[in-house]
Amino acid sequence: MNRAVSRLVYRLILRLHPTSFREEFGAEMLWIFEQEQQPGATVHLFLDGALSLLRQRFTSQNGTGQLSIASGVMITAPGIGPVRFLQAAIALSLLCLGLMLLRVPNPLNASVTWADRMPCYTVTLQAPSHAEVVLHSTP
Amino acid sequence: MLTKNAKSPPLSSATLHILLALAGGNLHGYGIIKEVARNSDGHYRLGPGTLYDNLKKLISAGLVADVPTSSSSKRKAASAQEEDRRFFSLTREGKDALAREVDRLQGVVTKAKARLQEARTGRA
Repeated sequence: MNRAVSRLVYRLILRLHPTSFREEFGAEMLWIFEQEQQPGATVHLFLDGALSLLRQRFTSQNGTGQLSIASGVMITAPGIGPVRFLQAAIALSLLCLGLMLLRVPNPLNASVTWADRMPCYTVTLQAPSHAEVVLHSTP
Repeated sequence: MLTKNAKSPPLSSATLHILLALAGGNLHGYGIIKEVARNSDGHYRLGPGTLYDNLKKLISAGLVADVPTSSSSKRKAASAQEEDRRFFSLTREGKDALAREVDRLQGVVTKAKARLQEARTGRA
C-alpha cells in the first residue's frame, strides 16, 4: 500500500479514538507509525491501532459499556448509543481490513496475481473512451 | 489495578516490558518500543497503540511520569526531531513495582525448576 494512503488510514484510526487520548498521544503515535512504516509492518500497525481504538472506546471510559468478543455478542449498556455502536462497527471493519491485508499484502497488485495464475495469457486493459480487454494467447 | 501494596497483581507482559525499558533511563515512546524489542531479542514488539494505552494507565497509577521538557537530567536524543518528543521516566513507585514483579517471577522460576527436577528424578 502506498505510504501516503497508509498514513491517511492510520490518521483515520487515530481520529476515531476518544478526543482526550488523541490529543495526549495522537501526534506521538503518528510519528511512531511513520518511523516504523515498512512493507511488512504496516498491517501490524493497523491492527494495533484498531485494537487500541476498541480498548479506548470500551474499556477506558468509566466502564460505560462492555464488548463481549468471546460470545460474539455486543452487550449494550446505557452508555453505548448508536454513535458508539457505529464507531465500534468502523473499528471492527478496520480490523477486518487489516486481516484481509494480512492475507493479500498488496491488493493493488491484483494483475500480478492474475498473470501468475494464468501465465499463458496477457491481459491488457485500455480505457480512454471505452474499456477494452485484449487477450494474447501464447503457445 | 496497580497498587502500591505488596499483594499487587502480576503485571502484564506489556507493562513489565515498558517498566523494564524505562529502568535503563528516560525514553520517548519510540525509544521504549526499540528498547523492548532489543531486550526481548526482537520476540516482543509493542505497537504504538498498545504502548500508549499502557503508558496512560501507568501514569495514572503513578508508576511512570512525564519528563519536563526543560529537564537537563535527560535524554539521549539522537536527533533534533527526537528532542521534540515526549519523554517518560520511571518513578520510585514504578521501580518498586518492577522490583516486586521481578521477585515474583524469580519465585515462579525457582518453583518451576524444583518441579521439573522432581519430575526428572521421579521418571529416573
